[in-house]
Amino acid sequence: MKCFFKYFYNISFWPVFLFCLSCAQFRGPKYPEIIYNNKQPLISVKYEYGEIQIILPLQYDGDIPENILFKVFAKADTMNPIISILQEAPNEFRTALPQGSLDFTAKTNMIKIIPQDENFDPVSVRFKGIGFGRIVLPTKIIRSGQLIISGKTFLKNDASILPKVKVAIKDSEDVLFNTFSNDSGFYQIAIPGESRFSENLRIVVGENLIFKPLSKKLTFENSRKLKINALLGPSRAMRGPLYITEKSNVHFKKGPDIGAEILFLLNKGEVVSVDRITPGSYHGFIEVEIDGGKNIIMEGWVNRVDLKELNLSSIRKVIK
Amino acid sequence: MCSIIKYSIGPFLYVSLACSQIKLDINTIPDEVDVYLDGLNLGTSPIRNERIIPGAHIFEIKKKGYAPLKYELIVNPSKAVEIDFFLNPVHACKFKTKEKGLVFELNGEHYWDVDNIRLDLEAGNHTLRVFKASELIDEQNIKINKPETFNYKEKKTITNK
Repeated sequence: MKCFFKYFYNISFWPVFLFCLSCAQFRGPKYPEIIYNNKQPLISVKYEYGEIQIILPLQYDGDIPENILFKVFAKADTMNPIISILQEAPNEFRTALPQGSLDFTAKTNMIKIIPQDENFDPVSVRFKGIGFGRIVLPTKIIRSGQLIISGKTFLKNDASILPKVKVAIKDSEDVLFNTFSNDSGFYQIAIPGESRFSENLRIVVGENLIFKPLSKKLTFENSRKLKINALLGPSRAMRGPLYITEKSNVHFKKGPDIGAEILFLLNKGEVVSVDRITPGSYHGFIEVEIDGGKNIIMEGWVNRVDLKELNLSSIRKVIK
Repeated sequence: MCSIIKYSIGPFLYVSLACSQIKLDINTIPDEVDVYLDGLNLGTSPIRNERIIPGAHIFEIKKKGYAPLKYELIVNPSKAVEIDFFLNPVHACKFKTKEKGLVFELNGEHYWDVDNIRLDLEAGNHTLRVFKASELIDEQNIKINKPETFNYKEKKTITNK
């Protein structure tokens, strides 16, 4: 068997080898490199763009504006909105934006909500975007704009400024907000817009003074701003010597006698201008405010024990 | 690809990148071609549901018998991108002449002076220049569409066999 293969090898190798050699000569040499012609490749690129759906639930606290203008700003550009939509006040704001229109690295995107109602202020919602898909933002509460009450506090007697006077906004007897006038007598209080619907809203000025505080009902009909200058204490018409009631429900009577007709019950801090004195009573005048803000002077008698002398200069010192 | 990003640059960055990743599909003609993205082998085509981030990327396609393809693409932020590559074949051709003393130049960079040679030529147009005693005696374009044998005759247009 081995001899057979050896014999076969001897008779077959050399003819095959010579045949291949002669064929290679016939075919010619091969160029060592592939020759390219640097042709531009044919390539097709197709993009599929998604969209961004934004959902912003809205909740109205009290009043509802009729229409709302929504403006969506992106990438910290607060000048040119990428979309503006005016619609009836919805329960949720929905919009769709092209992919890539929002910044998804930081909270530089913003929805500006502009109620078409002067009782509402515009509010903004900043948010971080996404490449594409859906964003559901936290619920935004739409409140009517703040009501602003401002003014100055004066001493009625000489129209001088009264600093550090307590100013309170009350709904019935509930104190909503407190503040004090500054050294220039100026005060300003902002209260929620929905307070405009309260029927018992009032301002009380001067509770930290010995005078009867000024109390006034607040009504916001055509404006969200009220200016109320508070004149406190006795007017210039009240001439000295001045006395002040030390407690509430002080009898202001027609005569000095026991059993005389009671004209008024005076509150604490009421100023009485005294002109006559008896062993048990003072005869004097009080100021009574009537409709239209006018004051009239009324005369009467007050028990001596219910009054103490009023010194306006000492009041200022007490206030300061 | 995802796993490379995941394990090489950390979970935090992976999360942020994942938000901006784009679905990538790659088709080639012919298919079953090795596809490289930024030097990393994505596998053989067709490639489906890979992920890519927006920005500049280099695609390389390699298959024996075809001209290799290198393509730089700036991928836009989008939901998905599908890329089709059409590879240009390389044909085995023969070039013969009975003329003597000629030097042939192809595309300005390949030279030979033998009268019978085998060439691997990319399909498309090639520029052939012929020199005799260092003097240009002929210049013509040849178009390769299939494996062919060319016979060159001096100052005559080459003809297909």
